[in-house]
Amino acid sequence: MDIFQRIVTALAWVAAALFVIAGGMLSYEVVARHFFVAPTIWAAELSQLTLIWGTLLGMPWLLQARRHIAVDALVELLSDGYRRLTEALAMVVIAALSAMITWKGWSIFFDSFERGRTTGSMLDLPTWVSELAIPVGFGLLFLQSLIEIRRALTGERLATPSHGAHE
Amino acid sequence: MSTLLILVALFALLLLRVPVAFALGGLGLFLLIAGGFSPLMAPQAILSTLDGFILLAVPLFLLMSNVLLKGGVGKDLFAAVHAWVGHWPGGLAVATILSCAIFAAISGSSVATAATIGTVAIPEMIQRGYERKFVYGLLAAGGTLGILIPPSIPMIVYGFVTEQSVIALFLAGVGPGLLLVVLFIIFAMVYARWFGGYSPEPASSWSQRKDASIRALPSILLAAIVIGSIYTGAATPTEAAAIGFAAALIITAVILRTLTWKGFWDAAFEAMATTVAILLIIAGAKVFGKAITLYRIPQDISVFIGQAIDGPFTFVLVVSVVLLVMGLVFEALSMVLIMTPVLLPAAMAMGFDPIWFGVYMVILVECALITPPVGLNLYVIQSVARASLSEVSKGVLPFLVIMLLSVLLLYVWPDLALYIPFKL
Repeated sequence: MDIFQRIVTALAWVAAALFVIAGGMLSYEVVARHFFVAPTIWAAELSQLTLIWGTLLGMPWLLQARRHIAVDALVELLSDGYRRLTEALAMVVIAALSAMITWKGWSIFFDSFERGRTTGSMLDLPTWVSELAIPVGFGLLFLQSLIEIRRALTGERLATPSHGAHE
Repeated sequence: MSTLLILVALFALLLLRVPVAFALGGLGLFLLIAGGFSPLMAPQAILSTLDGFILLAVPLFLLMSNVLLKGGVGKDLFAAVHAWVGHWPGGLAVATILSCAIFAAISGSSVATAATIGTVAIPEMIQRGYERKFVYGLLAAGGTLGILIPPSIPMIVYGFVTEQSVIALFLAGVGPGLLLVVLFIIFAMVYARWFGGYSPEPASSWSQRKDASIRALPSILLAAIVIGSIYTGAATPTEAAAIGFAAALIITAVILRTLTWKGFWDAAFEAMATTVAILLIIAGAKVFGKAITLYRIPQDISVFIGQAIDGPFTFVLVVSVVLLVMGLVFEALSMVLIMTPVLLPAAMAMGFDPIWFGVYMVILVECALITPPVGLNLYVIQSVARASLSEVSKGVLPFLVIMLLSVLLLYVWPDLALYIPFKL
């Protein structure tokens, strides 16, 4: 368990770093285009990849840290027992959803991989490079949601609403 | 019938505290399977969302504002504005609103705006004898300018889901944003003059003004670069956000030397967490939107509204009440994403401009940010000022009235929003 949590946290830091890298690549692109009239062919496409991979790799950590945006209004009124039950139910919904998306996402990836499909853009990367992020991210989310179901039922941790800095 | 059932299911999932992204995505996926459509559409919708270049602006704008927040830029900005208007009646309050407006032109987030300016302005105003309730309300409401004055993350999201020009939306936010600034300032001056209990201050000397302005200059230049490069077409909003992030790093790490490595990584990690939360809701909303369109639900609602509601004014009134009630318990962005696909077809059938409707939605979202029990700006002010939620909520009330007044003005005079993008 512990190792898995550490991997999930490490991946969240990878996601953070990917977004920083995207900022660097796009700034370079603007400077290169305007001051040296030398636009790149890779900046836009690679930074898009950082958004896809970063979001999906950060996703399991947000579940573990309760940082996904949720409506707390009703749950806050419940007693501890019911709260644990609703918590477990919510995690079952996430487990079912992520299992299905992992499965279907994998078939999209595998199909492109076998046929050697490419994006047809200037870099002409294989499309599976971005498609693989779906089964990886949702597969990890599935495992994390199983852990959260166990945590909710054993009462190891209650859903403490976190008012993170969202919009 | 199926429309009602789907809405009940969605609200049940949300109230069970299934995260908004997964409630939307899960219900959408279920509807696809139950309706005999291919479930492959769900991962495809998620991929196509994350493949949107305009959405890359979200992490980059967040990185920029978080770096500025950690770099303590709020203090310099506030000091500079204060040096100019501090001796006015309610001078500190006026300085606070203007600082919020300037930071709003750098940042696309109301939470970042409230936190950045609130950290500096709240202690100072209270020390000067302003009433606490007024101070909290002012900061919570002033912070919401962050999403009306461009850049704005909710506008990027609205533009993405409705396929409208984000640049036009940004420009349309300028007029109503300035109107709110003026209304807030008038209210603050009147309040301080007659009910205030504040102690007046002497005017700052010219050399004080010069020194403070020079220190705040880089941040003000940053706002000019970001808005200017978008407006002139030199950069897309996404690229402008990237340059803004790079410039924010240079300002805080090289020029002011206030950003530490720890501050930088904290900023990056926070930007990641917020980005992932926002983008997943957009992806979930896309799956849900696809499913309900296949069930023809937006069309049904649009027809229903067309029959039940006579005329645009009743429509705006009803929608405003619905959004205000939803805003009591819903977080702002989820509200935009759930309601836009449902309401926009009806609004357009009534003859509303989609850009105008976006600005209107953003002002109502601002109201949602400051209405208890769930309002992110209330939480921010609560934690910055270590105040109680009820104290902050009471202070917000007059500002809420002003914001609703601006909605009315926007309805009566649509050019308030549409003049700058389309007629200038």
